[in-house]
Amino acid sequence: MPLHAYLVLAALVFVIGLFGVLTRRNAVGILLGIELMLNAVNINLVAFSRFRADLAGLIFTLFTIAITVAEVAVGLAIVIVIFRVRRTIEADHLDLLRG
Amino acid sequence: MTETLGFWVAAVVLVAASLAVVLTPNLFHAVLWLAAALVATGGVFLLLDSPFLFGVQLLLYAGGVVTIVVFAIMLTERLVGESIRQTSRFVFNGAVLAAAVFVGILGFLLQAGAVTRPAAVGDQLGDLGRALVGPFAAPLQLLGVLLVIALLGALYFARAED
Amino acid sequence: MRIGSPELALLVLALPFASFLAIGLIRPLRRRGRPAAAVSILAMAGAFLTAGAMSWQAIPVARGLNPAVLWSWLPADGGPMASVGVWVDGMAMQMCVLVTLVSLLVQVYSWSYLADEPPPSLGRYYAYQSLFAFSMLGLVLSPGFLQMFVFWELVGLRSYLLIGYWYDRPSAAQAAVKAFWITKLGDLGFVAGIVMLWSGTGTFDFWPLFQAAEGGALHVDGLTTIMFLIYLGAVGKSAQFPLHVWLPDAMEGPTPVSALIHAATMVTAGVYMVARAYPLFALVPSVLTLIAWVGAFTALLAATMACVERDIKRVLAYSTVSQLGYMMAANGAGAPEAAFQHLTTHGVFKALLFLGAGIVIHHFHTNDVFRMGGLFGQRPWVGGSFLVATLALAGVIPPGFFSKEAVLAGVLHAHLSVPFLMLLATSFLTAFYMFRVVFLAFFGHAPVHHAHPEPPVAMDAVCRALAVLTLALGLRAAVASHHVEGPAWLPWISLTWAFAGIALAWATYQAGRLDPARLAAAFAPIDFLARRRYFLDDIYGGTYRLLLLGLSRVVGWVDRYVVDGVLNALSAGALRAGDALRRIQTGQPQDYVYGVALGVLLLLVWAQLG
Repeated sequence: MPLHAYLVLAALVFVIGLFGVLTRRNAVGILLGIELMLNAVNINLVAFSRFRADLAGLIFTLFTIAITVAEVAVGLAIVIVIFRVRRTIEADHLDLLRG
Repeated sequence: MTETLGFWVAAVVLVAASLAVVLTPNLFHAVLWLAAALVATGGVFLLLDSPFLFGVQLLLYAGGVVTIVVFAIMLTERLVGESIRQTSRFVFNGAVLAAAVFVGILGFLLQAGAVTRPAAVGDQLGDLGRALVGPFAAPLQLLGVLLVIALLGALYFARAED
Repeated sequence: MRIGSPELALLVLALPFASFLAIGLIRPLRRRGRPAAAVSILAMAGAFLTAGAMSWQAIPVARGLNPAVLWSWLPADGGPMASVGVWVDGMAMQMCVLVTLVSLLVQVYSWSYLADEPPPSLGRYYAYQSLFAFSMLGLVLSPGFLQMFVFWELVGLRSYLLIGYWYDRPSAAQAAVKAFWITKLGDLGFVAGIVMLWSGTGTFDFWPLFQAAEGGALHVDGLTTIMFLIYLGAVGKSAQFPLHVWLPDAMEGPTPVSALIHAATMVTAGVYMVARAYPLFALVPSVLTLIAWVGAFTALLAATMACVERDIKRVLAYSTVSQLGYMMAANGAGAPEAAFQHLTTHGVFKALLFLGAGIVIHHFHTNDVFRMGGLFGQRPWVGGSFLVATLALAGVIPPGFFSKEAVLAGVLHAHLSVPFLMLLATSFLTAFYMFRVVFLAFFGHAPVHHAHPEPPVAMDAVCRALAVLTLALGLRAAVASHHVEGPAWLPWISLTWAFAGIALAWATYQAGRLDPARLAAAFAPIDFLARRRYFLDDIYGGTYRLLLLGLSRVVGWVDRYVVDGVLNALSAGALRAGDALRRIQTGQPQDYVYGVALGVLLLLVWAQLG
């Protein structure tokens, strides 16, 4: 399969993740969307790495995965804290930043 | 031929699972679909001759992340006392914007010329290991520090109030 | 034509300046008062001796030699834009001697006159005095208009400070401000004139200007306007009508200051300037005629006001204005030598009159001549000195006789008959108002007496010295057989007028043959106007208030409605815009993601198009 196939696939997954982030009301749902987007990035990185015979892409992917894990851990911790304080994880109700 | 077939299978599973992640009303199901999507991604990695990354993907992502999310859902569900059903907002707007971004990216892809796939190299894993302790040693260490800090922070946030 | 040594001229300048620096910068010296006075007097004595030596040593040279020594100043492309230096011709040296002499005597006199002042004030006074002498000398020695203007302004500033010496008295502070503003009004013209002259000729220096003027090579557009503007400076400084109103008020300063500044030296700066720049004025006959008319009119106007004034110092002030009018008239009539001669002689005897008046005031504790009397019997020396000066001012005895004759002859020679008649009438009035003061203060009945302090030695000595000097100058003028060019009848007619004035004053205020009230009634309209100072002060005050209040109203309106309005509109706009923009910040994280996604989309489109 050509590189383009992988890239289009990744783009598709990316915009699906974006759609999730944009539309989900639940904070955990938003996090899931972010996971999808990161995955799309990983696919891109690995595809480029393979097609250009460059190991750096693989290493970046590793790093991305590790950082994603950290992000998920922190994000979920924040969700739990928010939940404790506000009794909800509906993003609609979290508008302390409103001007 | 095998690769083409594998790609299509993985691609269909991946896109379907992804759509399910963002569309399923049940949050728990969404997490399970995410796990499926992640496994499919691992399959794509395999197609790209990166078995090591496939392993990492399975272990860390599909194993670790999904487990954590499941725990979080269970926790909040128990606290709320009802199963969390999630709804969506402005589905149309989101779909339009996402489609627009997709078209934008596609425009770029169509402009780019084809790249031929080089022959697979043998001991990719060894090179990877050497690179990690060689040129990328410092980022690797920093990443370790980041992970520790993040996990400690997460622990601190989520600790029981007393 | 004589030229003096520029080194000595610089020394004359440096001494008072050094004294000023010493008093001004060394605080203990200033705070102690008396030592500061001693320093200032010593420096002044040195300057006087130097000026005398300079005048003595001056060498006669042929006409047409540059009497100026210049150093370049204000460098510019193609040579300096202006230069500083000293100009030591006969007139400047004579003026230097006069200024240093009067300054010296006044400072000595002040030593006693201001003995009761607190020491710090005394120190301040002497610092002003030193700087005043420096400024005046600098003005006199100026070789060009620019330097002259700088010193001119310095002199004005000193005058302001000395008039306002008792700045805690509202009247003194007001008089100082008035003097400052009114002379500044003239100075505006002065500075505009010299700048225009510079733009026309490219130089401020007298020498090239005079050479060109005398050689008929000075071609400047609008020279008449330029010289008129320059003359305006002299109008303010030398208290010519209509800017004379500040001088009588300037009498709020200490009497020695009045003697120094407002009689002998500063106010003559305008006359000096016109006499100095005469080669230029000679090119514009219309301005000269104007100068003569204004001078003669000022002389007459001030004389009528002096006749009705009760305050002895104000009488002298109006008399000064009147005499300045004489000098200006002579300048305008094309007789600057006569003007300068009258300037020097007047400087001496007017200083004597003021310092004598100081003793009189000291004696009677009042300025009102109607509450004085019989001083001659008690203080014959003072009375004698005052009488000598009065006679000289009235033009009865030399040197006033000769200098006044010279002025009158000059005016007559220029066929300015109306100004001549005005001046003649003025000489009658001069004799009348001066002898009115003499009869009222020195003769007649002494008022009910309280203890009369002996006049301090220094004050007495200074008056005697000035009296002797007046007589000596007169003697010299007489011996030099001063030839006044004019018809033979001129001295007789002016003497007759003067004696008529004296006789009228005698009949009215001494012998009691005439009732002053009836005399006033005979000249009712003039009397009425003169008593109200021809309403000039009211006109100025009214104009000032009208302009200032009107301007303030306008400014206030602009501030309230335009400036504040703009500010209010701006702030309201900012508030409203902020209110509107606030709504963008929903606080919903996903809305921010929309923003980010839109941004990415824009970037993509932009990159595609680019």
